[in-house]
Amino acid sequence: MNWFAIALAMLPEHILLAGIVVLTALALRKRPSASLAPAIIAVVVAAIAAALQSTMGFAYEPFPGHFSVDASALAAKSIVLALTVPVLLMARSEAKQSAFPILVLSSLYGVCLLFSADSFLTLFLGLEIMSLPVYALVLLAFRRPESAEGALKYLVLSGTATATLLMGVALLYGRSGALAISAFADALAASDALGSAAVVLIVAAFFLKAAVVPFHAWAPDAYESAAVPVTAYMATIVKAGVLLAAVRLFGVASVPRPMAELLAVLPLASIVWGNLAAMRQQSFRRMMAYSSIAHAGYLFYAFLGAGPGRFQAVAFYVLSYGLANLLAFASLPTGDDDPERDKLDNLRGLYHRQPFAALMIALAMLSLAGIPPLPGFVAKFLVFKNVIAAGFTLYGVLGLVASYLGIYFYLRVIQAMFMTTEAPAREPGPLEPLAESASLLCLAAVIALSVFPGWVIDQLVGRLG
Amino acid sequence: MADAMLLNAVLYLPVAAIVGIVALPADRDELVRRLSLAAMILQLLATVWLYARFDATVPGLQFETRLPWIASWGVSYQIGLDGYDVLLVLLTAFLGPLVVVGAFTAITRDVKLFYALIFALQFAMLGTFLAQDLFLFYLFWETMLIPLFLIIGIWGGERRIYATLKFVLYTAFGSIVMLAAVIYLVYSLNATTGITSFAFEDLYRARLPIDVQTLLLAAFALSFAIKVPIVPLHTWLPDAHVEAPTAGSVVLAGVLLKMGTYGFMKLAFPLFPDAARLLAPVFGTLAVVSIIYGACLALVQTDIKKIIAYSSISHLGYVMLGLVSLDLIGIQGAIVQMVSHGLVAGGLFLMVGMIYERCHTRELSAYGGLAKLLPIYSVFFALLTLAAIGLPTTSGFTGEFLVLLGAFRAAWPQYLQGAAYPLVTSSAAVAGVVLGALYMLWFAQRFLFGAGKAPHQPLLDLGFREKAILVTIVAAVFALGLFPDEPMSKTELAARHYQQLVARAATPPLAADDPHGPSLARQASRSTQ
Repeated sequence: MNWFAIALAMLPEHILLAGIVVLTALALRKRPSASLAPAIIAVVVAAIAAALQSTMGFAYEPFPGHFSVDASALAAKSIVLALTVPVLLMARSEAKQSAFPILVLSSLYGVCLLFSADSFLTLFLGLEIMSLPVYALVLLAFRRPESAEGALKYLVLSGTATATLLMGVALLYGRSGALAISAFADALAASDALGSAAVVLIVAAFFLKAAVVPFHAWAPDAYESAAVPVTAYMATIVKAGVLLAAVRLFGVASVPRPMAELLAVLPLASIVWGNLAAMRQQSFRRMMAYSSIAHAGYLFYAFLGAGPGRFQAVAFYVLSYGLANLLAFASLPTGDDDPERDKLDNLRGLYHRQPFAALMIALAMLSLAGIPPLPGFVAKFLVFKNVIAAGFTLYGVLGLVASYLGIYFYLRVIQAMFMTTEAPAREPGPLEPLAESASLLCLAAVIALSVFPGWVIDQLVGRLG
Repeated sequence: MADAMLLNAVLYLPVAAIVGIVALPADRDELVRRLSLAAMILQLLATVWLYARFDATVPGLQFETRLPWIASWGVSYQIGLDGYDVLLVLLTAFLGPLVVVGAFTAITRDVKLFYALIFALQFAMLGTFLAQDLFLFYLFWETMLIPLFLIIGIWGGERRIYATLKFVLYTAFGSIVMLAAVIYLVYSLNATTGITSFAFEDLYRARLPIDVQTLLLAAFALSFAIKVPIVPLHTWLPDAHVEAPTAGSVVLAGVLLKMGTYGFMKLAFPLFPDAARLLAPVFGTLAVVSIIYGACLALVQTDIKKIIAYSSISHLGYVMLGLVSLDLIGIQGAIVQMVSHGLVAGGLFLMVGMIYERCHTRELSAYGGLAKLLPIYSVFFALLTLAAIGLPTTSGFTGEFLVLLGAFRAAWPQYLQGAAYPLVTSSAAVAGVVLGALYMLWFAQRFLFGAGKAPHQPLLDLGFREKAILVTIVAAVFALGLFPDEPMSKTELAARHYQQLVARAATPPLAADDPHGPSLARQASRSTQ
C-alpha cells in the first residue's frame, strides 16, 4: 500500500486534523485567546492544498469503494474550506470559548469526508461528523434560553433525517446487496417499488438536512437562536456540504420523470414559501433562514438538469450564495445584546451611521435576490439554463417567477438601511476589525466572481462522483 | 481599433468616476460635484468624437469589441454601435452633464452616494445600448433598476418608498419573464442550429415555429412594454416620476423609457419577425391607445410632474407606432422621436425641478402668470412646450411628422388591399397630435399666463447655471428640428436592417427541424388529394 499517496489523498483532512489537535492542546493549556489564529491557518492551508491538488488534476482512491478523491471533490473541498475563513474571522467573541474553533474544524472534517464518500458508510460518517458539532455550536450561545430550544429542534429533526437516510440505505442494501453510493443511481434509473421507496427516503433525508419545504421548520429556530457566526456557518457550509454530497450521490444519472416531479415540486414549494415567509420576518437571522430555505429550492432545482452539468451548477451556486450570506453576516453591526442586534428595525438608517456595513449588506442582499451583475444572478441563470435545457420548461418558468417573490424582502432590508434617517432605539456598535476584514475578503471574492464568472465556471468542470 | 478602445473607455468612465467619488473624503461635497461634472463632460466629448467618426455608409456594427467572457455558454463581451445605438448613446451622454449640473443645488444630503448612483445608472444605460450580446444586454438591463430604486427611494418625495418599490417590482416582473424567454431562445437556437451563442447576430438566425415565436415575443414584449410604458402597464410611471428627485425624473424620461422602445427595435421584433408581423395590429392598437389615453390623462392632471409624465406615455406611443409601421420613414421617425422626447421631456422635468426648488409645490393651481414673475424662465418653458406639441422647426415636429407619414405610407397600400384597420389606427394617432396641443397649451396657459401668483413671491429668475442648462437643451431641440438630415443619415442603414429583419420569414422549413412538421405537411397534402 502506498502510504504516501494515501496521506496525500487526504491532505486537506489531515491538515484539519492537525489543526484540531493543536487547538485541543491550546485549550488544555488554557490559552483560548490564541485559538483563532491556528484555526484560520489550518483552514487556509487546507483550502490551498485542496485547490492546488484540484488544479493539478489529482485523483486517487486510497480506500477503494469507500473513499476516493478527484479534481471535482477537491474543488468542492476547497470551496467549503475557503468559505469557512470569513466565518472564523467574524467569530472573534465566540472564539473566546475554546470549543468554538475545534467544533468548526471537526464539522469541516465531516464535510470533507462527504465529498469523497463512495459508500453509504462514509457518507453517513461524513453527515454525522458534520452535523454533531453544529448542535453544540448552536448551544454555545447558551446565554439565551432560545438557543437550547433551537439546538434541540435541530438535533431531533436532524436525527430524524439520519434515521430516514439509514432506512433508505437499508432498503437499498436489501435490494442490491451493496453499500456503494452508485446503488442510489441504479435505483433511480430502475422503477421498482423497493428502489423507489429507498430513493424517496434518501431524498427526503437530504431535503430535511437542507431545509426544503415541508421539512424546513427547524431552520428558522436554529438559525435565530445560534450566534451570528454559527448561523453563517449553518447557512453556508452545512448547506453546501449537504448539497454537494447530494450531487455526488446522484452522480451523472439523469432523473427520470416520476422522481423528477418530486425533485421539482418540493423545491418549487420551498422557493415560494421561503420567499413569502421571509417577507414577514422581524429578525434578520430568521429572514436569512427563510431565504436559505428558498435557496435550497434553487439548489435542488439544479438536479433536474442533465447529470454532467450538475456539479458545475451546484458548486457555483453554493459559492456565490455562500459568499453573499457571509458578506451579510460579517457586516452585521455588533451589539452586546444578541437578540437586539438581530432586529431588522435596528438596521434602519444604518447607511447614515455605518456606510461601509450598509453598503456591504446591500450588496449581499442584491446578490441573493439575483440582481445582475452580482454572482447570484449568474448562479441562478446557470441553474435555470440547465433546467430548461433538460426539457423542464414549465418548472423553469415557474421557478423564475417564484424567484421574483424574493426580490421584495431583500429590497426591504436595503430600504430600511438607506431610505430612513431616524436612528433606532439601540445604537449598534461598529464592526470589529476582523469582521471587517472578513467583509472585505468576501467583497473581493464577489467582485472577482462578477467580473470573471466564466473563468470560475470553467474551473468547476467534472462531476462529483 | 483606437475608436473601439475609446468606446470601452466611454463605457467604463462612469465606473472610474464612482471609484474616484468613493475615494474622496466625506465632507468634500463641492469637489464631488465638480469631479462628476468633469467626468460627464469628458464622456460627452468622447461620445461626440465617436459620433463624428461613425461612418454612415457602412452597414452593421462599428467600433466593435468582442472577447469571450463565459466561453462555455457562448457568452461574449461584445459591444459596438450601429446606426441607432450611436444616437441613443449620444443622447445619454448629452443628458449626463445636465443631470449633474441640475442637481447641484437640489441634492444637499448624501452627495457622494447620489453622484455615485448617477454614474452607476449612466454605466448601466450605456451598457444596455452598447451590448450586442443578449446576456450582456440583460445584465445591464437589470443593473439599471437598482441605482434608480435608491435614487427615488432616498431623495424622493413623501410617498417615495411606495413609488420606488412599485417601480422596481413592476419592471423586475417583466425582466424575470423575459429571462425565461432568453434562456428558452438560446436553448432552442442551440437545439435547432447547434450554435451556442448569445450574440444578437447569431440569435437573429434562430428559426422558431410561429407558436413559440408568439410566446417568446409576448414575454419580451411584456418586459419592454412595462418599461416604455405602454397602456395598460403604465401605472408605475406617474408615481415614479412624481416622487423622484428632478435628476431621477430626467434620467427616467430622458433615457430609461427609451430602453423599452429600444428593446422592441433591437430585440423583440427582429428576433421573432413572424410573430411580430402577426401581432402588429395589436401593438399598433396599443400604441394608439397609449397616445390617446396618455394625452387624455395629461389633460386632467393637477400636478405639473404628472402632466409631463402622462405626456411621455403619449409621446412614446408614436415611437411604437413608427416601429410597427415597418416603413423606412416611420422607423426613422421613431428614432428621431425617441431622441426628441429625451430632450424635451428631460428639459421639462428640469424646469419643473427649478420651479419646485423655488416654490416647493408641484400643484398647478398654485401657479399663474409666471410670464410676468419669471420672464426668462417662461420663455424657455414656452419653447419646450412648443417642442412638446411638435411645432415645425422643433425636434418634436420631425419625430411625430415622420412617424405619421410612415404610418400612413404603410397603411394606404394595405387599405387598397382591403385591410382598413392600419388606416384607422393611423388616423386615430393624428387625433393624438391635436390632444397633445390641447393639454400642453392649456397647461402653459394656466402656468405662464393669467394673474401672477406663486407661493413664496418674489421669485428669483434663472441663474447662470440654469440658463446654461436650458440653452443647451433648447439648442439641441432646434438643431434636431432644423437639421434632422445629419442624424437620420446615420440611422438609415440601421433602420433598413431592422426593416429587413422584421420582414424576413423565420419559421423553420416544415420538413427539417420540427418533429411535428413532416407529418402535418403530409396530412395536409393527403387531405388536398
